[in-house]
Amino acid sequence: MRLLPLFAVIGGLAVLPVQGAEPEAWLGRMAKADRQSFEGTFVYERNGSFTTHAVWHAGSASGASERLLQLDGPAQEVLRVGGLLKCMTGSFDSQAGDGQWPAWHLDSSRLSNYYDMRVLGRSRVAGRAATVLALIPRDQYRYAFELHLDDETALPLKSLLINEKGQLLERFQFVSLEVRNALGEAHLQPSEACKPVSASADEQVEQAWKATWLPPGFEFTRAVRRSKADPAVSVTRLLYGDGLTSFSVFLESLNGAVVDDARSQLGPTSVVSRRIVTGAGDMMVTVVGEIPMGTAERIALSMQETMQ
Amino acid sequence: MSRESLQESLSAVMDNEADELELRRILAGSQSDAELRATWSRYQIARAAMHRELLEPRLDIAAGVSAALAEEAVPVRPKQTGWRLMGRVAVAASVTLAVLAGVRFFNQDSLEGTRIAQGQTAQPVLALPQVQGPAVLAGYSAAESGEAATVEPASPGWHEQRLPSYLRQHAQQASGADSALPYARAASLEDR
Repeated sequence: MRLLPLFAVIGGLAVLPVQGAEPEAWLGRMAKADRQSFEGTFVYERNGSFTTHAVWHAGSASGASERLLQLDGPAQEVLRVGGLLKCMTGSFDSQAGDGQWPAWHLDSSRLSNYYDMRVLGRSRVAGRAATVLALIPRDQYRYAFELHLDDETALPLKSLLINEKGQLLERFQFVSLEVRNALGEAHLQPSEACKPVSASADEQVEQAWKATWLPPGFEFTRAVRRSKADPAVSVTRLLYGDGLTSFSVFLESLNGAVVDDARSQLGPTSVVSRRIVTGAGDMMVTVVGEIPMGTAERIALSMQETMQ
Repeated sequence: MSRESLQESLSAVMDNEADELELRRILAGSQSDAELRATWSRYQIARAAMHRELLEPRLDIAAGVSAALAEEAVPVRPKQTGWRLMGRVAVAASVTLAVLAGVRFFNQDSLEGTRIAQGQTAQPVLALPQVQGPAVLAGYSAAESGEAATVEPASPGWHEQRLPSYLRQHAQQASGADSALPYARAASLEDR
């Protein structure tokens, strides 16, 4: 019953049902769409923010190269070459992380355990014919996706994130897209403001904390620690994912500070901070992810120090 | 004038089909005729209830309003008594207006109230950097974020210092429909 409003939103499209179209086949095509070359512009919208961007993408089986540039407001820019981060503008710079933006590994048999995948019909985005694929969660722990995949290339021309009430949380949508046989080097030249990213700021660490409850299908990916100038202030981050969506758990010692628990929602992203008492002083556990607030709350509550 | 024709005129007024003469007759009659006034009032309530029934399944007005009340800062309202009196006069006047304008007044009022309430509850609990709001609204948003900050009593700086960084780190390494989506999420978090 609780999925009804969702269908009302998704079903609101003027789409015709397509017979015999396999959602698994579409996911498979989408996973390889990265190998094609294209350039285009897209919009990103969430509660409180609307931005426009340009993308130049040179596809390759070994690792795509891509330049992204924000077109309104600050000229934020990112350049990846062969799947590795090469440069970022100032505001991104300090957050470079380990220099890897994740490739998307779509495993449709795994995803089908947690999402009901269906081809809803046909649509048109950026002047191109597209097929609408819905991934509707089988439980209340994650959000629904509506993907409009380009018929020619299977690139996601439009991606919507929708909550259990059928409310739109986030919109990513191409305005224009040109598929190219090859993309000239000139298009992948960063501006001067794009600062090279070199050494990693994060170190891989042992997992000293773990979640004793996870939504079905979510798995621990890795743990990293970012040490600031002051070694007493280090933040450990645990990464989890279900193959489609992900969340991070940040662990930071409070060093005696009195801080309240907090909750916040930023468009699709839920943030839940909870203080946890340990033998070595209080810690703040913060769960950040594109998951419902209740899921984040439950994960935060379940965090425990692993026995040494 | 017979009671029957008065009733007919009243019906016409309620249906927005009264001519100027009928409207005058009803307005004049309601001042002296208590029974007519009572009937008119019942019609109003019945119609309001009907329209409320239509509105409510779609809009959770009560929840929105109580949420808005919960978020409202400690009220500072000087010289309340004088305004309250004015308010009553205004309400009485607006009831008459509502009759003249049909149901539109009632509907608009409820819808606007809900919209405002929803707008308030949609504010994040923490004052996080919002990206380039319309320049015209800059003055208003400054006041809003000041209000939001009062939600946090102890060590108010702690979360504000860390959350932007947490959000960025998460956004930049989160998986998504393609690499452009996590990039766009991260970009949307940057302040100006």
